[in-house]
Amino acid sequence: MNATIVALTLRQVLGQRRSVLMLAGAALPILIAILFAINNGGPDDPTPERFSATILLGRLVTNAVLPIVALVFGTAVLGAEIEEGTAVYLLSKPISRARIILSKLVVAWVATAVVVVPSAAVASVVALEGSDADGISVAFALALIAGSLAYCALFVLLSVVTSRALIVGLLYVFIWEGVVTNLFSGTRLLSIREFTLAVADALTPVRASAFDANLGPVQGMLLMAAIIIGATAFATRRLERFEIGEST
Amino acid sequence: MTTETRLGSEVMEAGGASPALEVDHVSRWYGNVVAVNDVSFSLGPGIHGLLGPNGAGKSTLLHMLSGFLEPSNGEVRVLGEPAWQNPASYARIGLVPEREAVYSFLSGWEFVLLSAQLHKLPDAEAATRRAIALVDMEAAQHRATGGYSKGMKQRVKVAAAIVHEPQLLLLDEPFNGADPRQRLQMMAMLRRMAAEGKTIVFSSHILEEVERLADNVLVIVAGRLAASGDFRAIRRLMTDRPHTFIVRSSNNRQLAAALLADESTSGVIIDPDSLTVRTNDFGAFTLAIPRVARDAGVTLHELLPTDESLESVFSYLVRR
Repeated sequence: MNATIVALTLRQVLGQRRSVLMLAGAALPILIAILFAINNGGPDDPTPERFSATILLGRLVTNAVLPIVALVFGTAVLGAEIEEGTAVYLLSKPISRARIILSKLVVAWVATAVVVVPSAAVASVVALEGSDADGISVAFALALIAGSLAYCALFVLLSVVTSRALIVGLLYVFIWEGVVTNLFSGTRLLSIREFTLAVADALTPVRASAFDANLGPVQGMLLMAAIIIGATAFATRRLERFEIGEST
Repeated sequence: MTTETRLGSEVMEAGGASPALEVDHVSRWYGNVVAVNDVSFSLGPGIHGLLGPNGAGKSTLLHMLSGFLEPSNGEVRVLGEPAWQNPASYARIGLVPEREAVYSFLSGWEFVLLSAQLHKLPDAEAATRRAIALVDMEAAQHRATGGYSKGMKQRVKVAAAIVHEPQLLLLDEPFNGADPRQRLQMMAMLRRMAAEGKTIVFSSHILEEVERLADNVLVIVAGRLAASGDFRAIRRLMTDRPHTFIVRSSNNRQLAAALLADESTSGVIIDPDSLTVRTNDFGAFTLAIPRVARDAGVTLHELLPTDESLESVFSYLVRR
C-alpha cells in the first residue's frame, strides 16, 4: 500500500456527491427496520429474527445496498481516474502496480464498509428490538465487511478491464446475482452475494427457519478468499500492461 | 553535442556518448492500421523536437517512449532500461501529458507536492517549492487547480514532472495554452535543463516552437521518421529540391551573367534591387559565389537563403 495514494483517493471519494447519496441510501434499511418495529405482530408477519436475518440483512442489505455501494466506490477509485486522465500521474511514478491497486482497493473497501455496516447493524438492532441472542447483527456485520472487500476487488478489476465498468457491474449484480443464480445451484458458486450469506450463516447459530444460506460455510469462505485474491492479482496484472493511448 | 542528420528512416543518433533514449526498429499498429512504422533513433542530452502533422504517429511514439504503450515490434530503451513495464524507471523520467486533466480538488502546491511524495523525495516540500518557482507559479500555488487557466495547468504539470529533477523529460505539446511570456520562460527553463546535461523530448505541431527550441528535430510523417537532425542540415540534404538565395551586390546584372556561366547555378531572376538565384547544389554554390563575384569585380552585400525555415522543410517532407 502507498499512504499518499490512500490519502489522495480518500479525498477524491469524500469530495464526491455520490458519497452523500450512498450515505442517504444506506439509511433505507434503518427506516424499514423502524417501520417493522412499530407495525409487526400480525399473523402473517415474520419473526423478528427471520425479518432481521433473511429479509432485512439477507435480501435488502446483502442483495441490494452492499453491491450498489461497492459498485459506486469500487469503480470510482481507479476507474474515474482512468476516465478523467489523471491516472497518468500515478502510473508515471516509480510505484509498483500492486501497491496502486491495493491502495485503491483499501479505500473502496473502507468507504463501502463504513457506509453499509453501521447502517446494517443499527437496522438489525432496531428490527430485533434490542434482543439479539443469536448474534445476528455481529455475524452480518463481519460478513458484510468481508463481502465489501470481495465486491470492491471485483469492481476495481472491472475498472481496469473495461471503460464501462459501471454497466458491467450493474449487469453482474442485477442479472447474474439477481436472476441467473436463482435458476440453478451451480451459478451460486460465482456469486459474491452467496459467499457473503454463507459467511454470515457460519457466524450465527440462528435456526434455519429464520436464516439459511445456500452455500456451506467453508465453501463460502474459500470462494470469497479466492475471488478477493484472484481479482486483485488479475487487476494488478492488467494495470501492469495498461496502455495509455491516443484515446486516453 | 554531436548530431548526425539524415533524410528517411535510417538509424539516427543525436547527443552525447551514452544515449538516454534508444528506439530500435519500433513499430506500433492498431489492427490493420500502422501508427508507427519501423522507426529507429537514439537521443542523448539536449532538446529534441518531435514534429509531425496530426495523425502522423508522434503521440503514439511519445507514449511508447514514456512506457505507456507496448511496441508491436522492436524495443524502446530509456536510460539503458526497457521502457515498457518498468515502473522503476520513472524515478529518472519526468512526463508532461498532453491532456489538461489535473486533480481539480488539489491546489497547485498540493499537486506538485503529491508528485514529490509519490517519488519519495527526502525533502518533498523543498523540492516542491523549487519546482513551483521554476515555472513561476508561486502566486497561484494555493488556489485549486480546477480554477486554473489552461496555461497555468500546463505549468503546474511541468512543475510536477520536474520536481524529482529527472534525467529525461518527455513533454507532449507542452506550450498549449501558454501565453507568449510563459512560453519564453518555459523555453528558457528547458534550455537550462538541457545545459545541465538533461535529455528533453517534446512534441509539437507548432513549427515556430520547434525551430526556436530544439537542437535536433525528428520529423514524423505517416508513421515513419521522415528526417532527423538540425533542420537547416536536413534542408541541405534535400538535393532533389532547388535551393533559393536572395543576393544583393554592387552590380546585380553583371553578377547574374557571371553566375549563369557557373555550373552551380541553375537559374537567376533579376529583381529591381536584388537577384533571386536558384541552385541544385547548396555546397557547390556557397563555395562558388565568392569566387564568381570576385572574378566579375562585383562586391557582395547580402546573401540570404530564402527557404531554410523549418516550415519549408516540414512542408516539403510532408508532401514528399
